[in-house]
Amino acid sequence: MSRGIPLSSLEGMITAEGLSKRYGAKTAVNDISFTVQPGAVTGFLGPNGAGKSTTMRMVVGLDRPTTGSVLVNGKRYAEHAAPLREVGALLDAKAVHTGRSAYNHLLAMGATHGIGKARVNEVIGMTGLESVAGKRVGGFSLGMGQRLGIAAALLGDPATLILDEPVNGLDPDGVLWVRTLVRSLAAEGRTVFLSSHLMSEMAVTADHLIVLGRGSIIADAPMAEILAAATGSSVRLRSPQAGALAQALAAPDVTVTSTEADLLTVTGLTASQVGETAARAGIVLHELTPGNASLEQAYMELTQNDVEYQTTTVATSQEVAR
Amino acid sequence: MSATTVTAPPVAARPSTGSGLSAPGVIRSEWIKLRSLRSTVWSYAIVVVVSLGMAYLLSSALGTSEFGALVDSPEHTLLQAATFGTSFGVLVVAVLGVLVISGEYTTGMARSTFTAVPKRLPALAAKAAVLFVTTFVVGLVGSIASGALAFVVLGSNGVHPEITSEVITGVLLASLYLAAVALFALGLGTILRSSAGGIAAALGILLLLPTIVMVFASVTQAQWAADVIPYLLVNAGESMMLPSPDGLALWESTLTVGLWAVVPLVIGALLLKRRDV
Repeated sequence: MSRGIPLSSLEGMITAEGLSKRYGAKTAVNDISFTVQPGAVTGFLGPNGAGKSTTMRMVVGLDRPTTGSVLVNGKRYAEHAAPLREVGALLDAKAVHTGRSAYNHLLAMGATHGIGKARVNEVIGMTGLESVAGKRVGGFSLGMGQRLGIAAALLGDPATLILDEPVNGLDPDGVLWVRTLVRSLAAEGRTVFLSSHLMSEMAVTADHLIVLGRGSIIADAPMAEILAAATGSSVRLRSPQAGALAQALAAPDVTVTSTEADLLTVTGLTASQVGETAARAGIVLHELTPGNASLEQAYMELTQNDVEYQTTTVATSQEVAR
Repeated sequence: MSATTVTAPPVAARPSTGSGLSAPGVIRSEWIKLRSLRSTVWSYAIVVVVSLGMAYLLSSALGTSEFGALVDSPEHTLLQAATFGTSFGVLVVAVLGVLVISGEYTTGMARSTFTAVPKRLPALAAKAAVLFVTTFVVGLVGSIASGALAFVVLGSNGVHPEITSEVITGVLLASLYLAAVALFALGLGTILRSSAGGIAAALGILLLLPTIVMVFASVTQAQWAADVIPYLLVNAGESMMLPSPDGLALWESTLTVGLWAVVPLVIGALLLKRRDV
């Protein structure tokens, strides 16, 4: 899967090759390979327990891959001479000692890399923590904790940012702030790898999506492509002759599912195509509703297919055979 | 999957200012972490205060006529008074030593620490070095101050010890023992990664193990158990501070305490390198 990337853009690139993580009998991440490109926001989407956080922890070497490897700029994270200047990670908003002040936390983190007070104060300013920087982190709200985590990620001014659920617990202002920050970081040419369960947020933030389900990659495509695949792909229709219509619509790229006797959901065709097919076959339609394309829907389709693939096909073939 | 053609603009002029990961940097980081927690300040304050209090009590008691003439030389009495508090101080620094690392695991700080220092062992080594040196210095301040206090109190009771090299060595060894116990606890905390478990293990070995072995030895009459008793951490530490002719030789007790400090830390280091954070 060579993309012919010029060598210079290796800066900040994350490459995972056959990455797996097993905890005893449980497989958290199952042989995934992907690339996260610089200059773009790559969204990492998946239901809880899909393996997103585990994957991100493996990128920075907190968890050891069972098999495979993940490289940042062509090297394992731990092999970099200045890891914090390569990758800034917000992995868990609670990765801070509760008894220490935000300022001292950042100062201690930065000290490992010779990053001093000036930069600490700078990231405190960037994240709007000035008023609470001297207070102990134990009293922080979830939102303030997130801001502190982002401040820590920015400390080394890294080319790559890994943000696990950065908007979790933020108020609307904070969500907007993260969105703007993340977009501007990518615009500067940095690599941003962002996980979120808020699909609406992802839709306006990410350029590229990697969707993870049960430890495997379900989709890895530009946001536009994933949205386009969802657009028009879902059409809901009601007809007293649903069975005949399902047969008339049958085609290699078309899926027809049925949850009620007279209700069909068609994917792979636009509403007008469905309407025309019905007219040609002389089939009466009671309802024809094109699905609203949203990332949410695309995501549901992707994960549903992953989870319920077997059931859907059975239902379809029964319906078609009727 | 489809190929993406994301044309990345040149990465923003990243400041190549500052250095990378360095040993002095990691040590500085651990020093900031140690001094910026209240538990550290409290623990060390208690060590010094208890040391002073014990020195005062002991020197006033030993100096009064009720206790009759001094059994020991004035110098030995002074050393005893100066280091008596260390026996209690070790319990405090044992708790501190566990918390220094277990607190990182219970709060999640460990993920930050080992993201900044992904090779992990430099962070543990720096933590051990900072804890050892700080505890040694606090121990030294505590026992010198206690010695001075005892000197004055003994003097007011007509006992006038001289500051011999034995007194100075004893004070240094007491501080070394205190710092070694902090390392021992740090090792246990690294192995167990839990505050409750680590503190229970550390205090159990310091306080309960000698009694258990003694009872076991007297019940079973097992010679090996009796032989082990002087090598238990607390007993070896006591004979390190105040060597007695019938106890371990100074080199033996110092080596024993050193092993108690180093072995758990080495096991902890091996586990730290292998385990997921």
